[in-house]
Amino acid sequence: MSRFWRQAFAIARRDLVVEGRSRETVAVVVPFAAAAVFVVPFATDALDVRLATLAFPVYWLVGLLFGMQVALRQTAVETTAQRRLLTLLGVDPVARFTGRVVSGSALILVVLAITAPLVFLFYDPDPIPRLWPMVGVLVLFAAGLAMLSTLAGDVAAGIATRTSLAPLLVIPVSVPLLLGAAQSLESLVRGRTTLPWVLTLVVADLALAVTGVVTARSLEESNT
Amino acid sequence: MLDDVSVRFGPTTVLSDVSLRVAPGAVVGVAGRNGVGKTTLLGVIATLVPITGGRGSVLGQELGTPGSRAVRPRIGWSGHEPALYDHLTLRENLHLVADLACLDRSMADEALDRVGLGAAGHRRAGESSNGMRRRTDLASILMRRPELLCLDEAHAGLDEDADAIIDALVELTRTAGGAVVMVSHDAERLRADCDEVHSLDPGAA
Amino acid sequence: MKRTLPRAVLGTTALLSLATGLWLAFTSSPDVFQADYVRIMYVHVPGSWLAFLAFGVTALASAGWLVTKRMAFDRIAEASAEIGVLFTAVSLFTGMLWGYPVWGTFWDWGDPRMASTALMFFVYLGYLALRRSIPDPTARARRSAILGLIAVVQVPLVYFSVTLWRSLHQGMTVRPDGIAMDGSMVAALLVNLAAFSVLYIYLMVERVRLARLEAEASIAETELAGQAVAKPNLEGLS
Repeated sequence: MSRFWRQAFAIARRDLVVEGRSRETVAVVVPFAAAAVFVVPFATDALDVRLATLAFPVYWLVGLLFGMQVALRQTAVETTAQRRLLTLLGVDPVARFTGRVVSGSALILVVLAITAPLVFLFYDPDPIPRLWPMVGVLVLFAAGLAMLSTLAGDVAAGIATRTSLAPLLVIPVSVPLLLGAAQSLESLVRGRTTLPWVLTLVVADLALAVTGVVTARSLEESNT
Repeated sequence: MLDDVSVRFGPTTVLSDVSLRVAPGAVVGVAGRNGVGKTTLLGVIATLVPITGGRGSVLGQELGTPGSRAVRPRIGWSGHEPALYDHLTLRENLHLVADLACLDRSMADEALDRVGLGAAGHRRAGESSNGMRRRTDLASILMRRPELLCLDEAHAGLDEDADAIIDALVELTRTAGGAVVMVSHDAERLRADCDEVHSLDPGAA
Repeated sequence: MKRTLPRAVLGTTALLSLATGLWLAFTSSPDVFQADYVRIMYVHVPGSWLAFLAFGVTALASAGWLVTKRMAFDRIAEASAEIGVLFTAVSLFTGMLWGYPVWGTFWDWGDPRMASTALMFFVYLGYLALRRSIPDPTARARRSAILGLIAVVQVPLVYFSVTLWRSLHQGMTVRPDGIAMDGSMVAALLVNLAAFSVLYIYLMVERVRLARLEAEASIAETELAGQAVAKPNLEGLS
């Protein structure tokens, strides 16, 4: 295996093993996301049929906010000594970015997968005629959010206000991802073509990937 | 080699006109009070802290150039805060270092045995004592055999056996033609361990 | 042998009583309006009752820890909360299965009992998440005890929700003026309540025992840690 991929997989494996043992995503963030899905109707007139129209917007917002939280966590808890070690080991900054995006995407997909049936249960939206195109949309959304969160985490690394600054950086820039994912789902439900919105997601992901690759080294320098 | 190097963080000058020569095979100590910039100086030498004035070179590469980034894998660092992941076992932490450094994992296992933690490798780093964590950190350096070894208050809080590991690492680096730079507030200890000891005073070279 | 025999007897009793309850559930009279769908009640209602009991025990054990600082109370509180969350999930799931054929929907926001039960579920998930996040046993016990005492407020809210708010949910069946249910159904319900209670006790015994063993193992591990550290072997380094 090439040096790049060995390092990228080592980073991804590290993140997933740490998550598997700490279980913060599964035991804390996912129940938090589920609770958020559950309590939104209390803020509306839940007996009104309009609740069904809230289903998909709530799903994507919860996916965005809590997905971002799991992806940002790894950067937030990284110590100075750990960052120093990775730099001195000569880990390719792009390999580091790639590894974190892979692990972040996997964790975001867990959040999305578990909140999806809850949205259908509590909001009773229109059924989705074909589920398989949504798999691609979810993967593109998760990957884009993971890249965005990793970039934001690196930009805010080491700053005292990073826990609130990083989300502030993510949310406005996430609009193309949110639009692409939400409109893809709406189009699927209404029987319209999803192509323009899937392309929006693809272009957003490509832009984020290029940004991540181009800025990886200078972000590493600023964080050592 | 550092010539009149300065480092400023915002409005604060941490290092001012510092010069230092470290020859191959030498063990150099830098003593100074807490807060005087010893760790920052070590960070400059390890190419991790950018300089804002003066010039320097490490392992033949000018600081601040792509070449200085390329020599980083040849530099080792050990301090009072080990770079371990709490949820990984001691052995897994070393395997991670081996994977990232593209070394064979058997070297990690051998290094863990060498530092006396072969039977404790299954313990999670977060549940291990500070002494065990520091030994694991030293094992990762032992595995990598760096040409330039940077030690930041490395002896602080260690027992006899762990001290012996550091002494062995220093000797190993020296005899291989590498160099060691140690910083500490304990000037007496540095005088015993180093070929030469310099003093870092606030604002002075 | 001495210690395992009572546990084995308890486990066997739980199994036999659950089997008896299940048999009675399938042989009791069907409901006039709900027909055979009513049989889900024999799991749903005991599940709800036992969740209330479990969370009540958590609150009492939490108070016990705050007063005495004995870790046994903390282990009881934790075990009971875990079992309570399990029974709440059973209650919610069976409630949804029962609701679909009877009300035409798995979930209806018009039923305050369903909503309040789900809220209670999330509150105690948070309790378990809090416990998991604190490594120090004493700090974990203290914070969990405080949360355990606050969270139990949910229990009466859920129980009285069917009378406090107009609801799709079945009203109280066991009332001061009598029981509004056929005799065979009452028998099946009571046997299942008893069976679930025995199951609760069995699960509590096993879970508290496991927690005690884990605590003892953790102490032993700490003591052994030093023994696992050997002298370094620095000879022949080159």
